[in-house]
Amino acid sequence: MVALLFHPLNIFLLGLGGGFLIPLLYRLGKPWLHAGFWLALAGIVAVSGVSWLGILQGGPTIEVLTAGAAPPLSINLRFGLQEGFFTFTVGLVSLLGALHLWDRLKGNYGALLLYLILVMGIDGMVMTRDLFNLFVFLEIVSIATYGLLGLERTPAAMAAAFKYIMATVIASTLFLLGTVLLYYVTGTLNIDALIEGRAEITGPIATTALLMVLACLILELKPFPANGWGLDVYETAPSGIASLVSVGVSAGVFFALWKLLPLFEGQLGIIAVSGGITFLFSNLIGLKQGKVQRLLGYSSISQMGLMMLALALLTKIGATASIPLVIGGLFVNHLLAKAGLFWLAGVLKQDDVDARTSLSGRPLLLGLLALFMVAIAGLPPFPGFWAKWELVMQLTSAGKLPWIAVILTGSLLEAAYMFNWFVRALRPSEERAGAGPDTVALLPVYGVALLLAGAGYLAARLSGAASLWIFAPLAVGIVLYALDRLPGRVKGVLMLIAVALTGTWLVESAVGIAWLFAVLLLAGSVVIAAASLYREDQRPGYYPMLAVLLISIPALLRSSTSLEFFFSWEIITLSSCFLIAKGRGAGPHVLTFLLFSLVSAFFLLAGFAGIAALSGTTSLTALVTSGPDATIAFVLLAIGFLIKAGAIGVHVWLPGAYTEADDDFTAMLSAVVSKVAIFGLLTGTYLAIRSEAALEIAHGMAWIGMLTTIVGALLALRQTDFKRLLAFSSMSQLGYIVTAIALMSHLGWVTALYLVANHMMVKGILFLAVAGIILRTGTRDFAGTGGLARAMPVTFILVVVALISMSGLPPLMGFGGKWLLLSAMTDKGWNFLAIAGLIATFLGFLYMIRLVAGLFFGARAAGQADVREVPLALIAPQVLLVVGILVLSFYPKLLMDPVSAAIDPQFAATLVWEGMSLYTIYGYWNPTPVMIGAVGAAAVLGVIAWLVYRSGVGRSGSLARFYAYYRMVIERAVPPVATEFWSGVTGFTLATAATFRQVYTGNGQTYALYVLVYFLALYLASTGPAGFWIAG
Amino acid sequence: MTTGLPVSTILLITGFGLALIGIWGMLTHRNIMRIIIGFAVMDTGLHLVMVATGYITGGTAPILDGALSKADAARRAIDPIPSALVVTAIVIGLSVTAVMLAYAIRLYAAKKTLSIDAFTESKW
Amino acid sequence: MMRHVVIAIVVILFGLVFARMVGGYVELSALRPLAEQYVTLAPVELGTPNIITGILITYRGFDTLGEVAVLFMVAASVGLLLKKDDAPAKAKAASTKAIPAKASATKPVVPKTAAARAAAARTAAAKANAGARGSAQTAVAVTSAKVAESAEDDETAPREASEIVRTGTEVLLPLIFTFGAYVIVNGHLSAGGGFQGGAIVASGVMLMLLARPGSALNVAMLSIIESFAGVFYVGLGILGLVLAGGFLDPRFLPIGTFGAFISAGAIPLISALLGIKVGAELSVIIDRFRS
Repeated sequence: MVALLFHPLNIFLLGLGGGFLIPLLYRLGKPWLHAGFWLALAGIVAVSGVSWLGILQGGPTIEVLTAGAAPPLSINLRFGLQEGFFTFTVGLVSLLGALHLWDRLKGNYGALLLYLILVMGIDGMVMTRDLFNLFVFLEIVSIATYGLLGLERTPAAMAAAFKYIMATVIASTLFLLGTVLLYYVTGTLNIDALIEGRAEITGPIATTALLMVLACLILELKPFPANGWGLDVYETAPSGIASLVSVGVSAGVFFALWKLLPLFEGQLGIIAVSGGITFLFSNLIGLKQGKVQRLLGYSSISQMGLMMLALALLTKIGATASIPLVIGGLFVNHLLAKAGLFWLAGVLKQDDVDARTSLSGRPLLLGLLALFMVAIAGLPPFPGFWAKWELVMQLTSAGKLPWIAVILTGSLLEAAYMFNWFVRALRPSEERAGAGPDTVALLPVYGVALLLAGAGYLAARLSGAASLWIFAPLAVGIVLYALDRLPGRVKGVLMLIAVALTGTWLVESAVGIAWLFAVLLLAGSVVIAAASLYREDQRPGYYPMLAVLLISIPALLRSSTSLEFFFSWEIITLSSCFLIAKGRGAGPHVLTFLLFSLVSAFFLLAGFAGIAALSGTTSLTALVTSGPDATIAFVLLAIGFLIKAGAIGVHVWLPGAYTEADDDFTAMLSAVVSKVAIFGLLTGTYLAIRSEAALEIAHGMAWIGMLTTIVGALLALRQTDFKRLLAFSSMSQLGYIVTAIALMSHLGWVTALYLVANHMMVKGILFLAVAGIILRTGTRDFAGTGGLARAMPVTFILVVVALISMSGLPPLMGFGGKWLLLSAMTDKGWNFLAIAGLIATFLGFLYMIRLVAGLFFGARAAGQADVREVPLALIAPQVLLVVGILVLSFYPKLLMDPVSAAIDPQFAATLVWEGMSLYTIYGYWNPTPVMIGAVGAAAVLGVIAWLVYRSGVGRSGSLARFYAYYRMVIERAVPPVATEFWSGVTGFTLATAATFRQVYTGNGQTYALYVLVYFLALYLASTGPAGFWIAG
Repeated sequence: MTTGLPVSTILLITGFGLALIGIWGMLTHRNIMRIIIGFAVMDTGLHLVMVATGYITGGTAPILDGALSKADAARRAIDPIPSALVVTAIVIGLSVTAVMLAYAIRLYAAKKTLSIDAFTESKW
Repeated sequence: MMRHVVIAIVVILFGLVFARMVGGYVELSALRPLAEQYVTLAPVELGTPNIITGILITYRGFDTLGEVAVLFMVAASVGLLLKKDDAPAKAKAASTKAIPAKASATKPVVPKTAAARAAAARTAAAKANAGARGSAQTAVAVTSAKVAESAEDDETAPREASEIVRTGTEVLLPLIFTFGAYVIVNGHLSAGGGFQGGAIVASGVMLMLLARPGSALNVAMLSIIESFAGVFYVGLGILGLVLAGGFLDPRFLPIGTFGAFISAGAIPLISALLGIKVGAELSVIIDRFRS
């Protein structure tokens, strides 16, 4: 009985019967009308849901027969696993969509019946196994769409709908003709029979007929450049209708393509190229788009292109086992996220990305927007992430590298314009848009958001990566978010407890170097995070996000597969991005940060995929065991990690993000988060050790590190903003660590780890100290500070201790590490590098002196007579960090022994550190002479610099003037090459986008011409020129 | 019917010719009404093509009566499927034409012109 | 100019694609297995002498149901689109009364086409099936062409239909309706069927509206009829599911004597419902274009 009640045939009985009844119900009264509509629509969804569930639980595929005759004679339909998935998910979204559209639908029986039959038609397209019946359902869907597009009466919407009709009519005419001609050739319309007899479908008529059917399906998916008509509709239609076209109609067409794919075995390449072009160009042109719905249109079209590409390529390489995860993941991701975005845009009534209405005062809406954007960008934990990972893995193992470049480039462009919208929504605005949208209007949006989260979990399970610990950061974040109404400090304490507990639990499972990093970073992060208690304001959303970030770090460090690593990596990226966005002036820098992070992530993805293709496993141990072929994979990984480490050339994201983030969060970014990239680089370097080109690569990387150090120091000298100075100092110090890793020896790696620990504590202190100074003085500029030593004695002492340790002066921790590095380089014969290291040391001293002098010495700035010491909440963590420095300075064994033990399996060498000296297999080594030499050289350089400065006329002996002079010199001598390069890249990309979008003339007739030409192009690509010759 | 092209080939050529005329009209005329007529002509031409492909040499309509007995049917009837499909196709063609015309009326009401060049509000 | 060259090239290329297909076309000399099955099975299983009707209503009945839904949706869409919601639309509606003068020229076309097709039905029934409704399509196009045209020159005052049109209508209308009804109910026996007959009936309605521009069609009534016909159609389909072999199987009623008026199971019933539905829908569509 239940089986009968929920038989898939009932979808059509409900759809058509309900549709036909609606005018009658309308006569009975609106309550009847509305009840009938909801009953029928919910019934359709329930039928597909129950049937699908039955199949999921092992039930058989349901064959639906009609007319009491067997298939080739009569029309039959099929409801299997895939059909169930598509119909049910589309049904759910259309149910929520009807709720969203309710203002326009209610009481309008024409619209209601069109909506109902449209949903049924999509299900029909998915289920039918008869080619001509597919055409009928395609037309049902099209005509319902045409009718619903009439809901918006503006001239632009009418014109867009007309263009849409022209284009889709041409497409469906092609389908019709193709179908009938296929019948002429094969004598059947049954899809299964056609697929079975695929081999006999030859000859001019058959090939053309097949291509017509294919062209229709591709055209309905709106391929670039024959898609202006689709974009116009996305732009002008009511958001609910646009979303239905984007996710529902496209879903039906896409499924039809999937179903018929066995017929198009010869055209797989063409389908992939068409999808790839669409994906790339839609996303490129989207960059220039300011109108929200059109922007979403570009994204919709590109997603369909990506799905086409994935489907065709996976089929081509025979990776059919991956299709459910990849296609299912991409589809459900697009379905839910795009519907959510369209509806959100509709609820906010926001037409333009630049609209004055800002969301900055509405955290919940902002959160929803962020959630959908993250999903669209293919970031975790949403299904698109798992799907893209699997897709890239499969394509790499099949050697389809150019395709990966296409996918990643397109994804980056898409993320760029989507997050651009987000960043603009973040912008604080003076005028708060009146009362926000009511909760009811947002219900459907919440609905899809929840579904999206659930889908993400399911996709993770399908990928085999769903474990408690990997979702622990997110779970903790959600719990804390639920408590977000508590007072700020209470939340802070809760966050600290949560991070400490969960982090400790995660650290337990980490091994080797990862364990070391985990312990170090967890301890550091808890201490530095404690500083956030100095602020007593609410900081909505800050603590949950910080917990996600801080717990993700140990989660990343305990990963055993590259998928887990990458998942946590992306979560770290995202959470730091959102935390940076909390900064007041962070707006534009958030986007830069995110884009560079994504580029970095894409390199990592490609690198991991390369290793997986070589070793056949995603286990991280493959990093150690893979052979000499892994050079390319290593280079990819190294580039990815270097971007995140802020290496020279790709450092441009760093200063803005560091400077504009909240002051206490900058400390976290510099001290803790940057080390994650260092850890990645360290593990990635395992690969290079085995590679044939190890030495050249290592040398190159060492130079990158050293140049980063020098340029970072020069840029630091150029600043008048002391927080920014520290940001560049951070970049400079990370350069040292990169160089140490590049030594690829036991000595180098020990040094690297030593520097990591040192830098973490030093930068933690410095940024927190600066946070206190900014709090008290209200400025970040040297011009507004000076003479604070007396007012803030504790801060002064702490900063001096930190600077001594950073500069490498004895007796603190930094001593040893830096000098060891210099002498290790000369040992290796890298003399030029060693000289560069000397210059870097000198420049480092210069900016450190500047920092101390500018902040603490000299005259007090005007109006700061009553500046007090910074609050205890800021002092305490700094003191703890200083204690850490002191302990490790005098008992280096505490760090060195575990470090040595962890590294030893890789390099057979022993190393003992006793106080000031180091015993290696080479013998006794004392850093003091090197230190004296280096400091001496630095002093000489300093004197020369001073003399050069004084040689000019009228230059006084003031230190401030000295720095001002050299700031000018540096500005002249070192043009901002990197910044100019990247803004050039941006400008070029935008210009290209502007050029390509000229194809969209807005003229419906031209679009019709494009559609016809697109068919001809497909035809030419498939048959070659012979296709235009009768004899051929 | 003794020499020359088979009748269905002639129909096929006529139908394709009509479709080409329709395409030409739809792409060259600026007036929306004429564009719609172009679509209709193209449709009609292709319907002709479809019917033609079902023809069997020497066949007759698949309706059994005095002229066509049950026993004869399998030998002398034309393929009924294309005819049945064309019935559906025509209804759908008609439907689309009706919707396009309704839009044409709305477009005219909006701008008091039927030139397709006037309706380029949204682009890029 | 440039544009025309491009278009010409596109049309020529399509011409070449078509020509290649014509070159590859061979007229079939015998039915393929599936078609043969239809031709031999339909009369036996369904009892319909008109095999095409048998296929349309039974074997491909699912298509036909979808097709009905399409027409139904068009009526709704056109209603949605042409809903009078602003003053200009009303003003335009008034000016459409100007149709009749030009309509006199088009008037005879409709019945004549239908009649001609009916006469020729014996030899080319397949095409006739299509043709009758093709004329309806043209008719709709003609009306709305007039609508648009007359809307363009607003000076034309509304005029009554001429004497000839009115008298001609009085003579022809009963004939057309009778003929339509005949085509509908005999669909299972000879050329015709619900769609064709419905189209003929609707063409009669159109003639009526042209002759008496002032007359109002009871659209509410028609749409109720239309809905009921649709619901009954689905209901008959369900009866087939319950009582016979499957959804839309008409054999839950006795097949009867081959060739008799009451025979072929529920096919005549479905045909009649189709005829009513199509006639009502097309009439509603025509009326919506008028207003």
